[in-house]
Amino acid sequence: MLKYSLKRLASSLLTLCIIITVVFVLLRQMPIEGYFDNFEKADAATINAKLEQLGLNDPIPVQLWNFFKGLLHGDLGTSSRYSAGASIADIIANKAPVSIKLGVMSLALSLMMGIPLGTAMARSKGKFWDRIGTMYIVFINAVPAAVYYIFIQMYGANALRIPMLFDENNLVTWILPVFSMSLCSTASYAMWLRRYMVDEMNKDYVKLARAKGVESKKITMRHVFRNAFVPMVQYIPTSLMYTICGSIYIESLYSVPGMGGLLVDVINRQDNPMVQAIVMLYSCIGIVGLLLGDLLMTVIDPRITFAKKEGAR
Amino acid sequence: MGLFRNLKTAPVEKRVSEELKERLAATEKAPFGFAPYNPENAEKTGYSNYSYWGSTFRVFFKNKLAVTLLSVLVVLLVFTFIQPHLPNQYPSNLIINHPITGMQMSNVQPSFTTVKAKAPAGVELIVTPYENDEWSAVSNVLADLKARTKFQVIEYGEDFCKVQYGDVIGYVKNDFSTKLKLPDDPLAVPYESRSNFKIKLYSTPNDYTSNGDELFVETKYLKIEGDKAVTTAECELRILPSSAPFLFGTNNLGQDLWALVWSGTRTSLLIGFVVAMIEAFIGIIVGVLWGYVRKLDRILTEVYNVIDNIPTTIVLILIAYILRPGVGTLIFAMCLTGWVGMARFIRNQIIIIRDRDYNLASRCLGTGTLRVIYRNLLPYLVSVITLRMSLAVPGAIGNEVFITYIGLGLPVSIPSLGNLINVGRKLVSTSQSYQLIFPTIVLSIITISFYIIGNSFADAADPKNHL
Repeated sequence: MLKYSLKRLASSLLTLCIIITVVFVLLRQMPIEGYFDNFEKADAATINAKLEQLGLNDPIPVQLWNFFKGLLHGDLGTSSRYSAGASIADIIANKAPVSIKLGVMSLALSLMMGIPLGTAMARSKGKFWDRIGTMYIVFINAVPAAVYYIFIQMYGANALRIPMLFDENNLVTWILPVFSMSLCSTASYAMWLRRYMVDEMNKDYVKLARAKGVESKKITMRHVFRNAFVPMVQYIPTSLMYTICGSIYIESLYSVPGMGGLLVDVINRQDNPMVQAIVMLYSCIGIVGLLLGDLLMTVIDPRITFAKKEGAR
Repeated sequence: MGLFRNLKTAPVEKRVSEELKERLAATEKAPFGFAPYNPENAEKTGYSNYSYWGSTFRVFFKNKLAVTLLSVLVVLLVFTFIQPHLPNQYPSNLIINHPITGMQMSNVQPSFTTVKAKAPAGVELIVTPYENDEWSAVSNVLADLKARTKFQVIEYGEDFCKVQYGDVIGYVKNDFSTKLKLPDDPLAVPYESRSNFKIKLYSTPNDYTSNGDELFVETKYLKIEGDKAVTTAECELRILPSSAPFLFGTNNLGQDLWALVWSGTRTSLLIGFVVAMIEAFIGIIVGVLWGYVRKLDRILTEVYNVIDNIPTTIVLILIAYILRPGVGTLIFAMCLTGWVGMARFIRNQIIIIRDRDYNLASRCLGTGTLRVIYRNLLPYLVSVITLRMSLAVPGAIGNEVFITYIGLGLPVSIPSLGNLINVGRKLVSTSQSYQLIFPTIVLSIITISFYIIGNSFADAADPKNHL
């Protein structure tokens, strides 16, 4: 297991380097006009000077080398256009905590709501809970998120008599953003858990348990649920770590000062150092999350192992 | 029986065995005997007329909800294509202007008719010249008075007061929007009065033209003398000289929302279908090879990791810069970033079944890779592939809404559901919320239908459900 993890980590580093290089090259293809505020009025000398200052006139391998050198010193660089001169690590450290807090709370809420709902849907297949749950899932999938977030904000703020905008210190204002963010994940967890549980309930060992006369509740909780939950675990570390990305809709609706629209914003402003730093951060998270998810699966279910088995082709 | 007695079934068992004994005694025949030998029985072979697709469709059509939604979807699809050819339709990108004032008819509320008011016979109206002979442009505004203009009140009314302004007799509105300055006893006419706001002097005690624009009435109902006219019968005053109503209202620019919604549905459905098809095609090919051929697994996993982690926003912006924004560009960009998910999904499914016994047997027999893929693996995956494809269409439309939200979508001149929803989103708390509600309803119907049809078809395609 250890050997496998180390091998995965090594190939993840390689993947990371490839990703950074590809993003680097892609970013350099962006139009030069984007780096300047008034491109038409600037003359060739100014343009050249600015490009030199931004380090864009050097050939690409030189730029890459500079970037990696800075990275090894722990320096993520300074933002060139988003907030000029500020250290990127500072910017991210300011914005990330709020997004992480919101994300973790909504993840916990969606697990607490989604898993019981999925179980109830699987147990009462075709009856009341199944119908209600299916209607909920279909609604969440059908209506674009942007639309029902707005309705929740308007009517929720009126009904609960809380302020509409988010304020970090006022705990009451946390309710609506967290609730809205968790709706989508709840639907997803409920749907997948129901599917896996129904598949498990068709298996032979469950028929045997029923024939032996084991109570229905014990079968569901002790056998079916534990087996059905295994495939879902691999997504939880990734979701946990992606909370740093923030949700762009929620953060713009409730004016949350978080990481939500940061990536889109800095890409539009062509702030290359920031884009590279954020992409690297997200890629690290994605890869580590994937690895953790696989490890978590092997911890929960001892039958699963990623090492080579004899007999496999 | 032996050691354990099942308490629940013991009495039933006793009854059943007693009944069996009685029946056997009644027949007077031994329950079992030797069967005769017939050599022709050796030639009988089993024949099963089981057809996979036949059973799939049979199970699918038994599901009433799915069939209803399928017909709704088909009707919707057909309607979006025949809608421009129906009578009384406005072109979708036509900005509708008021024929006299030339201003855009923006933010008109949805209604089933263009009639604004009904005028009884004998109403005096002012006629504005308008070249169409069948219709006349009328209004009952005699004059626009500036704020604090003084006039004499001749008669007092709760809604309208009859006043004299100079040598013109007319009516002014008496409500909170005009706040006429009145003495303690308003009925003691005549007295002087004024309003602190701009007010209109009407020729009749009705405010047909509340915003000052002319209304239109068919000429046959008027008796015209110069620039004044009197209605000869009960007639309808319309906002435009036509009876084509704005079923969904108009948007801020003055374009008919009904036509925009159906044109947008056409565009969005086109994008969704094309993206789903291309994604499925490329995704299945790559995914099957990725999952089945072990040598390709490592390389493609690395490629997948790289592609998955590049933000789609960068790719979208670059493609939108290189090729101008448009429908083809959007389709290209969405396919480029979307095939990866499908490939990974197919690869996961293939990994589950690639080492099963029947595939092992095929390989031992020497079956070529392509044939194993085509005959063994893909038919097993029909159910999950159709589910994914049917979810890909609403997924593509939802993706398009998101892309438009961050500003990279279709230009505003090409209507699409994403554009309409994003424009309407800002108006949700105003009186123009209909601009959000109608596109959302159409989008929801499409998505719900695809979702339920996809799920039902996937359930029907699973051979365990073929009874």
